[in-house]
Amino acid sequence: MGREAILKSIKENKPTGIPLPEIDLNNFIEDINLLEEFKEKAQVVGGTINELESSETIEDVIKKQYPNAKEIVDCSKKLTSLTSISISEETNPKDLQNIDLAIIQGEFGVAENGAVWISENSFPVRVLPFITNDLVLVLEKEKICQHMHEGFQLISERERTFGVFISGPSKTADIEQCLVVGAQGAMSLSVILI
Amino acid sequence: MAHAEKATEFNKDEAKVNWHDKALWYVREKRDKSAHGVIGWEHLRDVASGIKANVLSNLDNYLIEFEKNAQNNGIKVHWASDAKEHNEIVSKILADNNAKKVVKSKSMLTEECHLNPHLEAQGIEVVDTDLGEYIVQIAKETPSHIVLPAIHKTKEEVDELFQEHLGTEPSGGNPEYLTNEARKHLRNKFLNADAAITGVNFAIAETGGIVVCTNEGNADMGSHLANVHIASMGIEKIIPKEKNLGVFLRLLARSATGQPITTYSSHFNKPAKGKEMHIVIVDNGRTEQLSREDFRASLHCIRCGACMNTCPIYRRSGGHSYDATIPGPIGSILSPGKDLTKHSSLPFASTLCGSCSNVCPVKINIHEQLYKWRQVIVKDVKQPVVKKSILKVAGGVLANRKLYNFSGRMARFMLKYAPRFIVYSKLNAWGKARDLPEVKGQNFDQWYKVKRKK
Amino acid sequence: MKVGLFIPCYVNQLYPQVAIATLELLEKLNVDVYYPSTQTCCGQPLGNSGYEDDSKGACQLFVENFKEYDYIVGPSGSCIYHVKKHFDILEQTPDVIKVRNNAYELCEFITKILGKTDLGAKFPHKVGLHKSCHGLRGLHLGSCSERMDPHFSTEENLLNAVEGLELMSLNRKDECCGFGGTFSVFEEAISVKMGKDRIQDHIDSDVEVITGADHSCLMHLEGLINRQKKPLKVMHIAEILNKSI
Repeated sequence: MGREAILKSIKENKPTGIPLPEIDLNNFIEDINLLEEFKEKAQVVGGTINELESSETIEDVIKKQYPNAKEIVDCSKKLTSLTSISISEETNPKDLQNIDLAIIQGEFGVAENGAVWISENSFPVRVLPFITNDLVLVLEKEKICQHMHEGFQLISERERTFGVFISGPSKTADIEQCLVVGAQGAMSLSVILI
Repeated sequence: MAHAEKATEFNKDEAKVNWHDKALWYVREKRDKSAHGVIGWEHLRDVASGIKANVLSNLDNYLIEFEKNAQNNGIKVHWASDAKEHNEIVSKILADNNAKKVVKSKSMLTEECHLNPHLEAQGIEVVDTDLGEYIVQIAKETPSHIVLPAIHKTKEEVDELFQEHLGTEPSGGNPEYLTNEARKHLRNKFLNADAAITGVNFAIAETGGIVVCTNEGNADMGSHLANVHIASMGIEKIIPKEKNLGVFLRLLARSATGQPITTYSSHFNKPAKGKEMHIVIVDNGRTEQLSREDFRASLHCIRCGACMNTCPIYRRSGGHSYDATIPGPIGSILSPGKDLTKHSSLPFASTLCGSCSNVCPVKINIHEQLYKWRQVIVKDVKQPVVKKSILKVAGGVLANRKLYNFSGRMARFMLKYAPRFIVYSKLNAWGKARDLPEVKGQNFDQWYKVKRKK
Repeated sequence: MKVGLFIPCYVNQLYPQVAIATLELLEKLNVDVYYPSTQTCCGQPLGNSGYEDDSKGACQLFVENFKEYDYIVGPSGSCIYHVKKHFDILEQTPDVIKVRNNAYELCEFITKILGKTDLGAKFPHKVGLHKSCHGLRGLHLGSCSERMDPHFSTEENLLNAVEGLELMSLNRKDECCGFGGTFSVFEEAISVKMGKDRIQDHIDSDVEVITGADHSCLMHLEGLINRQKKPLKVMHIAEILNKSI
């Protein structure tokens, strides 16, 4: 019923022959240090940045920042040896409600907005980065692109299931425009640059 | 009630008007700052507008392509001609899954379809989980802004609402405390929900996937915890290619709140293992708007709310004065297309200053469409006799120099010699708060005749 | 170069001093200026109220009055914008096209066509510029704050060249004053509130004289200033530019 009527009505009423414009990326060329720009933006949006020193391990940084975290899910594929609750695709997402900390490997960061792309390949249960109290994203310093146009080039060949750009912790300003960090998703986000 | 009357009501509390104006102007300034940080911003707007124009010219094919790709990925696609069909489809999906508890994230479309009362009438619990929407839901109100739904509420009012509905302690309106209490309450709702309903920011024809943007993470909490995810979208949410998202995601949050991007930009392409995902594609008057050449560009809208934040009238009259699902400038060009008589005052709730069109990330010529709706409205909607006859007479006078001379002299005479109580009577809306111009000895015509005899 | 002087109806009747200043200014700039005596109005009040069709007679008369001139110049961005933008309701004869193309707001005519900014005026006061919307966003007399374009302003260029004049910086550089033609009476509450807020911005910015290129906005602001007895004067930009030239 709806489908045919809608399509027919569109066909009868649409304008004709408007080409799809191409974007000219030359308009966005900027001489910037991608890493510095990313670090700045990731903090502007409320995230924390940790750059790993040569003497440190990711584990040291996490322990220092989240000393009280007990229920930890580490999806970073052996980047740390933190005792972790093991989860799989079969895990009931509701069972993750008491997770203190999730560690997920970011695929790349975007300098213009401090966002990090993570996809289902790196975390077997979709709700994990949202339901966890605190979120740690581990990102290689070399993997930072300038803007979203580059970002979408980087994920153009992915297996499409679920993925998300995350920029900072969950937040809201719905009460009198006062910014409050920690709405329905993770209360904090820290990006560890390795 | 017409916009002017509701706006007058809102203006009785000038302190609140000032607060509302400043709060939204601050958002507009954050938007400016954020946009200034993007070189090539105007190019982005041009491209975004061009993509949306292309979408409209190929909308049927893009929708078919989208449906096919979504279905290939295991998503169920439904089509609804109007609000009623949309609500019935949602009801059926819920019934098929025996879902009684629903969490909803922000979707102006479900507001437009009045989905909540429809579901509640069937005994289904629907909880709005965006904090602003939650506030207006428990206050039994509607959003007054599409991005900041509770911008009309003071923190003290929220405090009282939460005491009543969540049993919170009086906090004098402490936003951190109140937000955290809502978080605890809503977390419970997420964990117990049978189904989640979300809106759609962008639907990509090429991939059959959708993108949902939130700051709170509520769309993700809902859709990943519940077994069924229903996403409702207007037909105009389609974009051709995934790479087009690069353009829109750069514009959307910056225009809306001044953030460089929303906290979460979630890309849904396939349902999670063992779960269901449905997309409901809704017309509800959109193809009719598509048929109106002068007004179809209103379908470019990506619901950022920037036109509301910049609009000097919206800021000083509040969203509820528009009495429409989508208030503000964009609402004033969309709503008359749905119900011309009901919304006939909205295109006049503007000075045609043009700020909305210049701030719009997809370059909708909003103020020009307001002007055009006015031309339609005076023809199709019954006008007050006085207004109509005055303007008709004016048309005759201005086309006739002798009549013009006469009426100009009369007006000047009246202004100069009529007693003040007549000039400033109740009938004279100009004179309530403003003095009328002081009349000089002669008009320019008279001066010119004497001083410049050529 | 023959220039037809267009004086908007309300300026003719209520603000002859603005029309006189415009004429004198053009004459002092050696412009061959004529004032067609049968002119009435551009039709904007009708068009903006939705009665565009009823304004055709006025628009046609406008074209008849001004078709013989090389340029049509008027001290009102709003009316000129209406001619350029909304005379599309007339049949586009060569006369109509010529009038639409050659209609200029005064400041733009002086800077763009005459190529002058320093007019030798003197005005030792603190001035606040009200950038009227139709001039700014319609005629692009300057860059508007919404767009990310390089800054420019036709009126500022002229005012900055006036000796002794101090141009004050406002908090909201180009917000609408709330006049809006019939909006000012049909949406009285909002119109007044917008005007009050604009005036307060000028007061907060130490302005002595508010000026602008559109006297309809100034009429609205002046009405509020006079009623509230605020310590501000209102002058059209032509009056300032014509001071002791």
